[in-house]
Amino acid sequence: MTIAAPRRRWVKKNLFGGVWSSLVTIGLGLAIGYVAFVLIRFLATADFTILRRNLALFMVGSFPRPELWRVAVAVLILAVAAGVAGGLINASARLRAHQAGLPVPAPPGPRSLVNGFRRYWPLALLIAVCLLLTETVTPTILVLGAIGILVASSWALARLPYSRWSWSLVVALPFVAYLVLSSSGLGWDKWGGFMLNIFLTVAGILFAFPIGLSLALGRRSSLPIVRTFSVAYIELFRGVPLITLLLLGVFALRLFLPSQLNPSSVTRILVAITIFEAAYIAEVIRGGLQSLPTGQVEAASSLGLSTWKTTRLIVLPQALRATIPAMVGQFISLFKDTTLVAAVGLSDMLNTSSIATSQPEFNARGLARITLPFVALAFWAGSYTMSREARRLERRLGIGER
Amino acid sequence: MTDPKSQPMIQLEKVDKFFGSFQALRDIDLVVGRTEVVVVIGPSGSGKSTLIRCINRLEKHDAGRVIVDGIELTDDVRNIQDVRKETGMVFQQFNLFPHLSVLDNVTLAPRQVRRMGKDESEKLAMKMLTRVRIPEQARKFPGQLSGGQQQRVAIARSLAMQPKIMLFDEPTSALDPEMIKEVLETMEELAATGMTMIVVTHEMGFARAVADRVVFMADGQIVEVGTPEHFFTNPEEERTKLFLSQIL
Repeated sequence: MTIAAPRRRWVKKNLFGGVWSSLVTIGLGLAIGYVAFVLIRFLATADFTILRRNLALFMVGSFPRPELWRVAVAVLILAVAAGVAGGLINASARLRAHQAGLPVPAPPGPRSLVNGFRRYWPLALLIAVCLLLTETVTPTILVLGAIGILVASSWALARLPYSRWSWSLVVALPFVAYLVLSSSGLGWDKWGGFMLNIFLTVAGILFAFPIGLSLALGRRSSLPIVRTFSVAYIELFRGVPLITLLLLGVFALRLFLPSQLNPSSVTRILVAITIFEAAYIAEVIRGGLQSLPTGQVEAASSLGLSTWKTTRLIVLPQALRATIPAMVGQFISLFKDTTLVAAVGLSDMLNTSSIATSQPEFNARGLARITLPFVALAFWAGSYTMSREARRLERRLGIGER
Repeated sequence: MTDPKSQPMIQLEKVDKFFGSFQALRDIDLVVGRTEVVVVIGPSGSGKSTLIRCINRLEKHDAGRVIVDGIELTDDVRNIQDVRKETGMVFQQFNLFPHLSVLDNVTLAPRQVRRMGKDESEKLAMKMLTRVRIPEQARKFPGQLSGGQQQRVAIARSLAMQPKIMLFDEPTSALDPEMIKEVLETMEELAATGMTMIVVTHEMGFARAVADRVVFMADGQIVEVGTPEHFFTNPEEERTKLFLSQIL
């Protein structure tokens, strides 16, 4: 009773503070109740057979089924990489606290499992839904194994003496995973499903970021030719819809290349995405560069730092930090834009949805209402996780902000 | 033994500076001797800041010559770097690097420009922070310090390059009144060590107590130069008298 009294006061004050407030509360309450009812009825009565049968199709597209073990091995290797990265971040934070004479936080323990789940709950939800839709036990074993490996390697690295060289593992392991996936003639042309969306996003960011950074710096260069080229590039590719570039990449890129070179369609798509993203990233970074007070550069110059060192040590660390929200927004929209490759015939996750609904068994039964929410859930989980991680990063970097 | 103040450290000869069609400096002639402390005063927009910013090439002068410790400032980047290594500058807005700790702010230039090792540079930095009396703040970030403390870190940061010249561009103008004193005291101590200094300031008490010479500027020109006694008690020019009557 003692607890209930303040709660009742809170409800009265915030939900039923007046006639209008009460009406809004009741109206929104009814709306939420109705949506929940429809959703629960859908989940309880819908037939998810199409998802159960096609889960592999949604995840990896037409990747040859006998070779699926490669995906499993790649997932496990990436789990090690993620675990190592997490452990190293923890170890370096503790080392820094130790050096600064601040209280050193404890290495990760059972409590951090709970924290990890809360931090990544959208992904956990997606994985749980996928596992509920599996027909065999293998994927469950794989996922549990991957989580186990991730946790184990993270805890191990957090406890081992910190060495900067361990980061090379984090860089090298994804390459190993790539080799496992692509060897014996299974280049990324054979990839599909959600795996292709994730690959295009990650590769697009990795390739476009350095180009975008160069363009942003080029736009502020004192050399007219560099500046003109950067402005022209940015304004040209920012003014064209991505879908146009994708179509051009598929149908026209060949015109610019020597005839011996005949890149696969995924490669061509990746080139188009990189070109497009670089222009946007350049503009995002330019915003960050402009937010920096001129006094920072003057102070660095007055200390005798060269232009390059000033850029690398003073300008970019601050400018890039300022661009985190816009940059992540850009990455999220790239992630979702990778579904546009469906328009040029690649079987990404969105396209596998149409492939599944046109299978003879499921054809013309209006099953898109089953498959599309699943696709939406996958993209939402990925996007929301990126957004949460960005906010976390912003908060952490907030230390020492002006 | 000759007086070091008779040996020129900074020479400005017929220096002009334009911003577009606006002439910020007009025919500036000034020689500052070794270990000399020169205070520059004048109404806002008179070209005081522009004058000292031409000495370490934050502004490029359009005509005349600027010679710092025997090095003439030209378009040659090496000359500019050499002059900047010898010239420290303290800004009105402190301009500390907010993403670096106080210690890293101070060690940055010795490590990057002088190629000093980590341990050596940190020892030097702690020495400089002790000199400005805030060694206990070394691990903090600039945003966690008061304005006066930040400005003293900025002084330590410049001193860590072991410059021969220190330029101060209104170092106390952005400070709350109670913090001005600690910064002025630090500057006074620095002057006592024989540092060559040019100080743009509105602190007339500092000018009186510390300056070897006071330079009065108006409209981009040097109107009057003299010792503090002469300058504050018996100014010759009408402009100077008017200015002093407004601020004193």
